[in-house]
Amino acid sequence: MNLTVNGIERDISSPPLTPLLHVLRDELDITSPKAGCQQGGCGTCTVLVDGEPRRSCLTAVATVDGASITTLEGLGEPERLSPVQTAFHERYAAQCGFCTPGMIIAATALIERKGGPVEREEVVDALRGHLCRCTGYVKIVDAVLAASRGDIGQVDDLPTSDEGEPDVLVKGSPA
Amino acid sequence: MKAVGARLPRYDGVGHVTGRTTYVDDVRVGRTLWVKALRSPHHHAAITRLDTSKAETVKGVHAIVTHADVPKNVYGHLEALGVPADEPLLADGEVRYKGQPIAAVAAESEQAALEAVAAIEIEYEERPALVDIRKALDPAAPQIHQWGNVYPHYGPYNHRRVRKGDVEAAFERADAIVEGVYRPQAIEQMPMETQVALAVPEASGRLTIYSCTQAMYFSMGVVAAHLQVPLNKLKFVGGTVGGGFGGKVDTAADTVCALLALKSRRPVKWRWTREEEFLASSTRAPWHIEIADAVTSDGWILGRRMLTLHDSGAYSRFSPYGVTKHAFHHSGAYTIPNLHFDGFVVYTNRVPTTAMRGFGVTSVSFAVETHMSRVADVLGLDPWEVRLKNANRIGDTSGNGVTLKDPSTVPVTLAAAERVGVELGAEFRQMTAEPRTGALLPEHLVAQQNLNLEED
Repeated sequence: MNLTVNGIERDISSPPLTPLLHVLRDELDITSPKAGCQQGGCGTCTVLVDGEPRRSCLTAVATVDGASITTLEGLGEPERLSPVQTAFHERYAAQCGFCTPGMIIAATALIERKGGPVEREEVVDALRGHLCRCTGYVKIVDAVLAASRGDIGQVDDLPTSDEGEPDVLVKGSPA
Repeated sequence: MKAVGARLPRYDGVGHVTGRTTYVDDVRVGRTLWVKALRSPHHHAAITRLDTSKAETVKGVHAIVTHADVPKNVYGHLEALGVPADEPLLADGEVRYKGQPIAAVAAESEQAALEAVAAIEIEYEERPALVDIRKALDPAAPQIHQWGNVYPHYGPYNHRRVRKGDVEAAFERADAIVEGVYRPQAIEQMPMETQVALAVPEASGRLTIYSCTQAMYFSMGVVAAHLQVPLNKLKFVGGTVGGGFGGKVDTAADTVCALLALKSRRPVKWRWTREEEFLASSTRAPWHIEIADAVTSDGWILGRRMLTLHDSGAYSRFSPYGVTKHAFHHSGAYTIPNLHFDGFVVYTNRVPTTAMRGFGVTSVSFAVETHMSRVADVLGLDPWEVRLKNANRIGDTSGNGVTLKDPSTVPVTLAAAERVGVELGAEFRQMTAEPRTGALLPEHLVAQQNLNLEED
């Protein structure tokens, strides 16, 4: 068997029913897809198989023989982030970072498919089944929306409060 | 103060978004063995036979450890604070919760390790299990510990207690008694990264342990104690944690990996499955909280009686500390001059419980705040105004005798009311944290306040 992983062709020697996740992590030492649940429930093992997001933990490697696989490592370099990576970084969409590989892969596939700005409902739909335990999803969804609009590299220094909202400092505080 | 209020890039942000961050499971060391554990299938049982000899012959197996391999098997997280140890690293003669580890195998593959676990010969004699803390004090309840079902080491008492003022008098004077029972339940912290450790024997004789712990030096101490080695024999590498939320304060996988690495002379990794994480890793504790408040018809809380049962699961771990924090917060952010609190750490045949996001405090806050609203409801008063009236003020005394210098209850409550658009009466809108005067200093609050101001 062979796979093209992040543009490089690799021969595969794992047994045919080995989950793609284990082939990537343990045979090829590509560690961004995580073993979060190994039951298809958490989404952090997600990779692109010929451009489509797939749960690598539930994908026997034999069923994707010859396919082109993209992991988070293949989307951008630290010095050359992809738009989705940039948006996640700038907008604090990663906290512990463990779910981030699957989130960015799924978001990238959505934006590629739409070819432009996406709606909030589409993001929520694309990230369904991707669990995050840290951030509460708001920053993640905002980052995907910003990336789809090309709204990156121009984040204001300080968050601005809406008109009429009370001061951050509370009145009468002895602090 | 350049960082405060500024929007700074996270130092680990680029690593997270490019997949370069190295979590414990991502560390690559050649010839690493995989660990799997034999866990108790019973909530409570005697182990009448344990034989690993057949398992040792399974192809690919390099080492198996049981309680007999642990230099100091029974250790307590709070030993340094004088709390006696009660938890074995690997079960010895009995199991007290379903999922409790009994033996662990290091083998060439996860599959070989699983085969060896299945080949361990073990027999149990099942015992009745206790899973409901409300039944723990019943003389007929199954006994879980040599100490009985209640942790006995709060000084001369078997519970954490708070006594302040004259509760009897407060309840006699009250216009009404408002009672409530609150039972916040167990919650699994459920980090996306399950418990995982990698232990590597070094040529120098040291062990390098890659740990997902939230408490590096604490874990180092736990491993050193079980192994009975000095700290300088251990090198811990950590700090990159795939979520913890309190669930990685207890040392879960490090010590077993260390033992197996020493025995096999190979690097070993133990990565818990999601099922193990749910079944056998510690959770937030379930609690049983009973509150009775002596109140006046105009909304003053004269006194509070409270009983708390904290489900510690099968072992103490940090629960005695959690209940102490719980006790400190049992009057909430309010000044109640007469208090009677008893908090028990109760053992059950459940997985041991531990820290999670506000250990001991969030549970009591849920009960106290729900009860404050209940008091207002019973009296037909506005719940915001009952809170503001009884709110901590400068010079008030907390339940555990601390004179408050900067309580924020009033300003924070007012800010919250404003944000959600609640209209308060002028007398409440104008409140501050300043010391009580006039109508806000009724007779029942004078004594506790003057007493403490004199100390300053």
